[in-house]
Amino acid sequence: MLTIIQKLASLKFTLVGMVLLGVGASLSYGNPTDIPVWVLVVPMILLVVNLSAAILTNPRINQQSGLLVFHVSLLVIVILAAVGRLTHMDAHIELVVGSVFARQNLQEIKSGPLHGGNLDDVSFVQGPFSVQYAPGMQRGLTHSQVKIKNKRGEWQDKVVGDDRPLIINGYRFYTTFNKGFTSVLTWVPDEGEAVTGTVNMPSYPLFEYKQDNRWTPPGGDEIKFWLQLRTNMDEKNAWVLEQGSSSGVLVVVTSANRYEVPLGGFVQLGNGRLQFDDLRMWMGYRLFYDPTIQWMFFVSIAGVMGLGYYFWKKMNVQPWMVEASVAETSKKMMINDNHSTKRNVAMEDQS
Amino acid sequence: MNGIVSELPWLWAGLGAYFVATLIAMWGVVPRFAGVPFVKTKRHEHVVMIFLVVGILLLTMAIAARWIRIGHGPWISLFELLVSQLWSLGIIFFLLYWRLPGLRPSAVVVLPVMWILGSWVLILEPTASHFPATYYNSWKWVHVGLGKVFLALLLAGVGLAGVMVLRRTQRGQRWFSSMPSDAVVDHLAWRFMMLALVFDSLMLIAGAVWAQDAWGRYWAWDSLETSAFLTWLFLAIGLHVRLSYRVPTWVSGLMIIGIFAMAFATYFGTPYISSAAHKGMV
Ligand code: HEM
Repeated sequence: MLTIIQKLASLKFTLVGMVLLGVGASLSYGNPTDIPVWVLVVPMILLVVNLSAAILTNPRINQQSGLLVFHVSLLVIVILAAVGRLTHMDAHIELVVGSVFARQNLQEIKSGPLHGGNLDDVSFVQGPFSVQYAPGMQRGLTHSQVKIKNKRGEWQDKVVGDDRPLIINGYRFYTTFNKGFTSVLTWVPDEGEAVTGTVNMPSYPLFEYKQDNRWTPPGGDEIKFWLQLRTNMDEKNAWVLEQGSSSGVLVVVTSANRYEVPLGGFVQLGNGRLQFDDLRMWMGYRLFYDPTIQWMFFVSIAGVMGLGYYFWKKMNVQPWMVEASVAETSKKMMINDNHSTKRNVAMEDQS
Repeated sequence: MNGIVSELPWLWAGLGAYFVATLIAMWGVVPRFAGVPFVKTKRHEHVVMIFLVVGILLLTMAIAARWIRIGHGPWISLFELLVSQLWSLGIIFFLLYWRLPGLRPSAVVVLPVMWILGSWVLILEPTASHFPATYYNSWKWVHVGLGKVFLALLLAGVGLAGVMVLRRTQRGQRWFSSMPSDAVVDHLAWRFMMLALVFDSLMLIAGAVWAQDAWGRYWAWDSLETSAFLTWLFLAIGLHVRLSYRVPTWVSGLMIIGIFAMAFATYFGTPYISSAAHKGMV
């Protein structure tokens, strides 16, 4: 048994694993869609087996504390990454100003089979936000105001954006480049109850030229909307995108007619009335959950400290001064002796 | 381009100083140009140091002038990255040159490598770059700072690697006859590689923290991350090859040059040929 483990621990095997991992990483360069993740996972599994065997059987690694800490941390990082994949969650959500986060509205959800976070307790309200643009339409800072409930149940204001995610129950919400306008509409059918809802237009200013969407009222024909926006947008100079300084007219297109509806106005359609109640903005968030990230950080720092300690000790056994003193000797010898071979032999003895 | 912008005269002067340092370092290893068989004194090394310091100061001025002109530090464009690397590589190599006299002749390899950066920067437009929102994060200082030490340690290693490879020729043996034996040079070179691995690992950790803050993910195998991982892996392979085999010093030198080439491509190639998110612009 031991001999099998010793064979698995071979350093030649390590090199094969590392080269395969290098090949796998090169193949995945730029994240091509046709390369399976196995090109990375298989070499990693090989290396995990090899390294575990080496840690168990090789005194060169398990009797040098710093080196041991480093290699164990490499193992733990791979294990944590695997746990992270199994428990993670990734998703996107578009939140209209004034609305409350609701998990049903999450889109493009990707989560590991063992994801067990407490998303039901996550609650916050989207407040107004602004996005700065530098000349040439270069996006700058995003300030997004949100209200969250603190432990005592009171509402608290928070500003998030760019480098400052909103973190609740381990779920991290990041503002993205994806944000835009929404029209708050009320549909008052000739018979039945009125319904109010929002229709998000495509990302702004990215799709500034096509601010349109469609909706089919209950029991009616499809309606096309188009928002004629007036914002601060300026291609040459700096400007700020925000709800307060933006206005718009809703263009409603049915199969028969085209109507321009100002804010607060309405249009009578075949079987009901469509009101344009409000113009608001929506912010696109990226949601990220991975319970291993803090551990990953601490373990990797511990690993590097182990490596540093190992090198520190190694370099102190034969300190930098050895080289310096070799150089000193070489200087002295140069004056007396110009024969390089002899000198090299002498210096090798000293090193 | 609108005329000569404020940082250019400082940049040219700084590169000029590095150039003089390079020539003097070369003269030091090939003294027959001065009609003597070998340099008896090491006084020229002090002159090299003086020109390196002058170069560093002038490049500091170039960076400061640009910072004032465009309102942010040299973080973004290739022009900025090259100037900033010329500055930090200069500082760290100067410190090593000063503290470790044994490696001084390797400046004839190191300084020409810096000249690749120097000539490259000269053909680039110093157009003002846009400062992306994600760069307000303080981790950029840690990430970039560690990366600078990492690259400088690799460069010092490349200097010694170049010595080992050039010593395969008779001329190379003459040039570097005042240096310790190959075994000692190799030993010192790999010390730099070991330290480089420590700084590389720390740089990757700081980068992952920044990426988590900036893009909501710590690692996504984008082109720059993959390239940086390959550099780290090459270092690991290099160190492990030396544990398993007796590597001739010139092969060892070629391994170091290979690792440096990978790091070089990661720094100055990948971010500018790929349109991946890592540019920080989106
Ligand atoms: C995955 C399988 C691995 C195994 C089985 C393994 C095994 C070993 C062993 C046995 C040593 C010998 C120590 C000595 O002789 O003094 C060592 C050293 C070392 N390993 Fe690993 N290792 C592995 C992966 C890695 C990786 C991925 C790195 C990443 C950089 C790494 C970095 C190092 C370093 C820096 C040393 C010290 C080298 C030196 O002192 O010259 N190892 N490893």
